[in-house]
Amino acid sequence: MQLFDKNMKKILFPIALIMVVAVFATANRNYMPHVYINPGHGGHESDDRNVVVYPFAAGDTSGFWESNSNLKKGFALNSCLRAKGYTTSMSRVTNDANSDLALSTIVALCNSSGADIFYAIHSNATGVPARRNHILGLYRGYTGSPVIANSDVLASTLMERLQQNQAAVWTSSYQIAGDFTFYPDWHNAGLGVLRGNNAVSMLSEGSFHDYIPETYRLLNDNYCWMEGWNFSLGADDYFGYSFFGKGCVAGNIRDNRMPRVINDFIMFGDDNREPVCNATVILLDMDDNPLDTCYTDDLYNGIYAFKMLDPGNYKIRVEQEHYFSQTKQVTIQANHSSYCNFDLARVRETPPEIINYSPVWNEGDAPLKANTPVIFEFNWDMNTAVTENAFHIEPAVEGHFRWEDSNYRMVFEPNDAYDINTLYTVTLDTTAEHGGGMRLQEPFTLQFMTTYRKYLEVLDIFPHEGDPVHYKAATIELRTDSMLNNSYYYDKILLTDKDGNLLTYNRRNTKTGKNTDPFGFIRIPVASTMVPGEEYTLTILSEMSDTAGIHLPETIVHKFTAVDAGEEKPDATVIEGFEDASTFSVEDVSVNTDVALSASTDRLFGSKSLQIKINDPLSLESGIYSTSFDDVIVNGDEELSLHVNGDMSNLYLRLHLRSTDESQDNVFIDFGKIDFHGWRYITGKGNLNPNKTYKIVMIETDSDEDDPINSATIKLDNLLKTQKAVSVYGDVNGDGEVTATDITELYNYLLYNDDSHIVNGDLNDDGEITAADITAVYVVLLGPSNDAPTFLPESAHKSGVKVGPIPSSDYIMASAQGYIQGVELYDLSGNLVARNGGNYMNVESVNDGHYILKVYCGDEVSTHHVAVKH
Amino acid sequence: MKRTLLLLLGAWVLTGWAQQVTVTSSTPLLRGVEPAFYPTLNASGDRLLYSDADAHGLKMLDLSTQTITTISDLSGAGYDAKWSNDGDVYYITSKVDELSRLVLRTGMRYDMARHTSDVVLEAQHGAVHLEAGTRGMAMNGEKHNFATAPNRGVSVYTTGSQLVVNIDGKENRYTPVESYAGYLWASVSPKGDKIAFFAAGKGIVVTDLQGKVLAQLGNYEMPCWYNNDYLVAQNASDDGYQYTSSQILLLKADGTFRHELTPKTSMTMQPTCGGGKIAYTTIDGNITLITIDIN
Repeated sequence: MQLFDKNMKKILFPIALIMVVAVFATANRNYMPHVYINPGHGGHESDDRNVVVYPFAAGDTSGFWESNSNLKKGFALNSCLRAKGYTTSMSRVTNDANSDLALSTIVALCNSSGADIFYAIHSNATGVPARRNHILGLYRGYTGSPVIANSDVLASTLMERLQQNQAAVWTSSYQIAGDFTFYPDWHNAGLGVLRGNNAVSMLSEGSFHDYIPETYRLLNDNYCWMEGWNFSLGADDYFGYSFFGKGCVAGNIRDNRMPRVINDFIMFGDDNREPVCNATVILLDMDDNPLDTCYTDDLYNGIYAFKMLDPGNYKIRVEQEHYFSQTKQVTIQANHSSYCNFDLARVRETPPEIINYSPVWNEGDAPLKANTPVIFEFNWDMNTAVTENAFHIEPAVEGHFRWEDSNYRMVFEPNDAYDINTLYTVTLDTTAEHGGGMRLQEPFTLQFMTTYRKYLEVLDIFPHEGDPVHYKAATIELRTDSMLNNSYYYDKILLTDKDGNLLTYNRRNTKTGKNTDPFGFIRIPVASTMVPGEEYTLTILSEMSDTAGIHLPETIVHKFTAVDAGEEKPDATVIEGFEDASTFSVEDVSVNTDVALSASTDRLFGSKSLQIKINDPLSLESGIYSTSFDDVIVNGDEELSLHVNGDMSNLYLRLHLRSTDESQDNVFIDFGKIDFHGWRYITGKGNLNPNKTYKIVMIETDSDEDDPINSATIKLDNLLKTQKAVSVYGDVNGDGEVTATDITELYNYLLYNDDSHIVNGDLNDDGEITAADITAVYVVLLGPSNDAPTFLPESAHKSGVKVGPIPSSDYIMASAQGYIQGVELYDLSGNLVARNGGNYMNVESVNDGHYILKVYCGDEVSTHHVAVKH
Repeated sequence: MKRTLLLLLGAWVLTGWAQQVTVTSSTPLLRGVEPAFYPTLNASGDRLLYSDADAHGLKMLDLSTQTITTISDLSGAGYDAKWSNDGDVYYITSKVDELSRLVLRTGMRYDMARHTSDVVLEAQHGAVHLEAGTRGMAMNGEKHNFATAPNRGVSVYTTGSQLVVNIDGKENRYTPVESYAGYLWASVSPKGDKIAFFAAGKGIVVTDLQGKVLAQLGNYEMPCWYNNDYLVAQNASDDGYQYTSSQILLLKADGTFRHELTPKTSMTMQPTCGGGKIAYTTIDGNITLITIDIN
């Protein structure tokens, strides 16, 4: 009871003091500053920032959203300032769409409030894979020359206070800049909340919320509160106030040695150690009487704080059931933030033991694969360096260690593979020790014998490097020399778009090899529809293994391009649409049972395609007739193209023609090997005599003994004939002449635009469009020449920059996840037409035509084909 | 079914039955002279106040003679300058006090006849609100006030989440709609029977002189009266840092009609109305004066 009274006094006294100060300040409010607080963003919408971290799903509003942490900081700042006697206004106190006010509204509200200072509270993000964590203060104007006097001083006082936060890990010191200087060329736009703002104003990017340890800290209420408190100290410093007489202490509690692993995220300094969750933190007076208690949360940040303390000496004790308690002394100063971090030692009372190991092999057992890892599981987290030194393997093999499960599991893997047919002996000697320093009591030894085989052999992969792949209903396949392990292969076969986004698979329809198949395979239908013209990447990780655990020698990466195999060919004539399967028959009735013809609704054109199913293709060559072929005449100067839906059966497909003259020459147009999945447009190869005409005899298939398969199913759609093109340099679309259309085609190919039309392709202005203009386009777009700008290919864009409208008559806008510093407009000769800070380009006075817009966003520069039309 | 019919009726009212609006003239102003922001037309539409992007300084363009007069070169002067009923210009300047670091705001009047600016409200700390009445002007500060006359006809201004209506010297305060962050941009219709203002989080609200809500026009900003039945406003969006679109809208005061005077991508903003004319600027300071025809 006495303790209770004492505690109550300790708690009530500061509250009473705050009230006295507040009353005093209120009485003198005419002399106290008014602070306008703008917690940035709001509404959990597209202009908000969501970082997805466990345990929150994407879009979960209780997870990290910049608007949430900004608002928590704003609330803290508001309450701290009011406790000190300031008057305040906040632009929002809720987090919904209605509270996400427009920039000009925020400025107007600030001006209308009569504010002396304006704080826009934000956090930062790199927008690119690189990670960092530092503070940035921006004010309107050039660095050192703020538009509103003293805004640089306001930024400086705040940055000093924020930088002192030792509960965070900073990668560099703070930065202060005018927004005109920080974003070169922004001089006529600037940050929207500072434009027209007549208070002494600044925008703070308090830390980087996409640095994952910081993301977790920003989920902690106390951490946000401390930033708000530090803002209030910055305001005090700016106005020269020191009357408040309260201080605070905060800190970060971490394990003293256990490494922190968050997927592959980059971490710096002390953030590489595990934060301690659910710790009890007790504030004590110097006689060890408890004054207050707080807790670290379970969101992996280890943050605690005690607020509004009287100046003096205190003790802080941290308790957690798995750790030794620790007590530190801290001195609280008025108008000051103290920081007291703890590195806790885990409780480890017994010596380390190996509680599990692998491989378990005994004399007479089957030999093990040549890359079998050696795994020891311990009852404690181990001292990694010492334990690695205690590891011995005979015969010696070069390998590497990996530690898992917070150093409870040690994994040794050979860098390449063990020798085949070899007995290996592994010993862990008694110098191995756990994190508490106790050693292994007995040495531990295991043995294993290796097998004759080292690696899984790849027989084929689709798509092959550089393949065109029909954008819809694509299928990928890995074909190997042995049956593949059917577990977890979706994690090892990755299909990504140009921005690195994973495409999804149709898992239910995935096919895998059986023991009766001549080879192992995984055949995965792709659920996502791809974008024609864009590049995709198939990555098969080296961990992909067969049923014996033998893996690939290395990771395989194939890049390929999505295409529309059914793209219209305006210059072609359809000579067979394969709409009516009943008009087709197989050459030899005796083998008819092995070849089945049927109509399929899986088609590119019309309503049907012709499906050809062949059982045991190795035993026969099929010939397929059609009565409709009788009426078809092919001129010798024409070429034939066919739409084929492949199954990677490696069948050979050809068209048999016979000349109509007396010689009745037999000629074969070869459509190649069906070593692909999905639809493909194939132009046949063969030598027709341009002076003769031909009739189609039949469609023929053949197979290769080196590519054994059990059955094949292919489909055929429109067979086309076209006048053979005469190759001309610069004739991109192969129509036999160089026109503006070729420039359009080239643009489409290089910039992946599919809806643009080049109006003026005469780049060198010589009055006609020639191959030289095509060359000029290459120079502009690919930038190898002296003065031509160098553009990144679209595939390198990471920040999702979008531009529009196209065409535009007044403004072309750019938008992105990150902050856009500026845009530049180039003509097709590479000359800079206009440059502007901000995310827009005024093209009112720009001539009609096609241009390249360079967008500067974060560390990236992206290029976009745009058009101006008045 | 009833709900569907109502929705269809609503859509018809807003579109099918809508008035035809035609832009009858469009005149670029100050092109090649200087970027101009915060345009403010006078009641007859023949004079235009403007400032720079930071509302630093205040200038006047005479549309008939195309002459430019510098009214002030002080900070904040251009942000909320207003024309008085007698043709003078009232504005507020702001300055950071070197000693206290507080922002002090001063009320100024530009005498159109004498071509000089005078201090009418001494520098003070805190908010100062300008109030343009049909028969006079006032400046309402936290410590000191200024008024040309006790009875200023009908006038309105906002402070916090209050609409302050002054009719013939009698002041009433209303809170027609909830708005945590506050009200802005209040003005009285030309016939003096309606008030339009902006409520943060709610948008443009039209009330009668007793604060009774007549219509809510949508989440647009900076309303100004084109005539007694129509308003012009800004419709902007941003990414939290900078604007991503902005356009000028014509809105019927009863909420039944909306017309885009400029496209979203035009980046047009800060509309002002006067004398049957509409002026607006762009994000980079290109002012355009337009006239419209509503049928």
